[in-house]
Amino acid sequence: MESVQSIKTRLKSIHNIGQITKAMELVAATKMRKSQEIALAGRPYAFASLDLLAKISVQQIDLPPLLKKRKIEKTAFVIITSDKGLAGSFNSATIRKFEKYIKEENIDVKVEERIHALLHPSPSARVNEKYFFIAVGKKAQTYLSNKGLKITESFSRVGDFTLPEQTNQISDFISKGYLEKKWDEVVVFSTYFKSALKQEVLARKIFPIELSSIKKTIEELIPETGKFSEIRKEIKLEEKPADYLIEPSSKVLLSKLAWHLARMRFYHLILETNASEHAARRMAMKNASDNAAELSEDLTLFYNKSRQANITKEISEIVSSTLA
Amino acid sequence: MQISVYSLKNTLFKDQAKSLTCNTSLGEITVLNNHEPLISDIKEGVIKIIDKDEKLKYIPVKEGFIEINSNNEIRCMVEER
Repeated sequence: MESVQSIKTRLKSIHNIGQITKAMELVAATKMRKSQEIALAGRPYAFASLDLLAKISVQQIDLPPLLKKRKIEKTAFVIITSDKGLAGSFNSATIRKFEKYIKEENIDVKVEERIHALLHPSPSARVNEKYFFIAVGKKAQTYLSNKGLKITESFSRVGDFTLPEQTNQISDFISKGYLEKKWDEVVVFSTYFKSALKQEVLARKIFPIELSSIKKTIEELIPETGKFSEIRKEIKLEEKPADYLIEPSSKVLLSKLAWHLARMRFYHLILETNASEHAARRMAMKNASDNAAELSEDLTLFYNKSRQANITKEISEIVSSTLA
Repeated sequence: MQISVYSLKNTLFKDQAKSLTCNTSLGEITVLNNHEPLISDIKEGVIKIIDKDEKLKYIPVKEGFIEINSNNEIRCMVEER
C-alpha cells in the first residue's frame, strides 16, 4: 500500500495543477470574448468596403489582377495556427485538415520535391516549384519543417488581439506574390469560430478575390450561436447603385480596394483563428480542471482510508503491546 | 448629413456633421450637405470634420476610401496612422 506521505504529495500536486488549469480556463474565456469583440468592432468597415466593391465593380468590366481569375498552375498554402500549445486538438485539427486536403486533391508535395531535386541538383536551380507553404503561427512552422517541406515564409507572434499592422504584413506578402505570379491560387487553412463550443477548420480559397467569398467571411464574423449571435443577419447589397462620380477612375480604385479587401480578410481570418484558439484552450482546460477535481476527490478518499487504517493499526499495536 | 468613419479596428466617427475635408488623389475636397454621389480614394493626411456643434475633429489617416451616396450619407473606410 502506498504510504500516507506519498499520497499526500500527490494530492497536493493534483490540487496545484487543478488551480493552474482553472486559472488558464478563466484567462482563455476572457481572451476569447475580447477577440470576438475586436472582430465585431471591425465589422462596419468590412461591410462598407464590400458594399463599395459591389458599387464600383458594376461599372467596371475589366477587373484588376487581384480580382481576376487565371489558369491555376502554382498554389500557395497558408496554414494558420497558434503560437502556443495546450489548446486541446486545436492545432492538430488544422494540420489534419491540411493533410486530408492534400490527399483528396492528390497533391503529392514530396514527390514534387524529389523530382525537382533530381532535375536540378543544386538547390538554387529549383525555381519552378508548384507548391508554396506559408506558416502563420509557430505550430504550423514546426509541423511544416518536421515534414521536410520548404517554408516560403513564416509569420509568428500574431497571437492575441492582433493589430491590423501585424496582419497587413502577411496579407501584403501574399497579395504581392499573387501579383508577381508567384502563385495563381491561395488556399488558407484556418479555424472558423462557429460558437464558443464548436470550431471547425476550413480550407478556403482566398485568391483570386471573389465577391461571394468575401461576403461569406463577413457573415461568418458573427458566431452561429451563443453571445453576439443575435446580430447575425443576411447582408443585403444595394441592388441598383446610384450613379456615382468615381475619381480618379474605377480601375485605379478597384485595384486599391482589392488590396484593402485582402488585408481585411486576413485580419479577420486571424482574429477568428485566435478566438477559436482561446475557445479550444478553454475547453481543454475545463476538462483538465474537471479531471483534477475528480482525481483529487478519489485520492482524498483513499488518503483518509489509509490514514484510518494506519491509526487502527497503531491502536491495535498499542493494545496488543499492553496486553503482552 | 450623416458621416461615419470606419477603420479595420473600430468606428472612429459616427454622427451628424456639417462638413468633411480630406485629401484625395485629385486634390483636397470639402464635402458639404447634399453633395453629389461620389466615390474616391483618400490620401495620407488628416480628415477634418466640423460636427453639428461647430466643433472640429481631426482624424489622421494613411489611406482609404470615401463614398458619398444620394441619401446625404458619407462613409469613409480608412487606415489609421
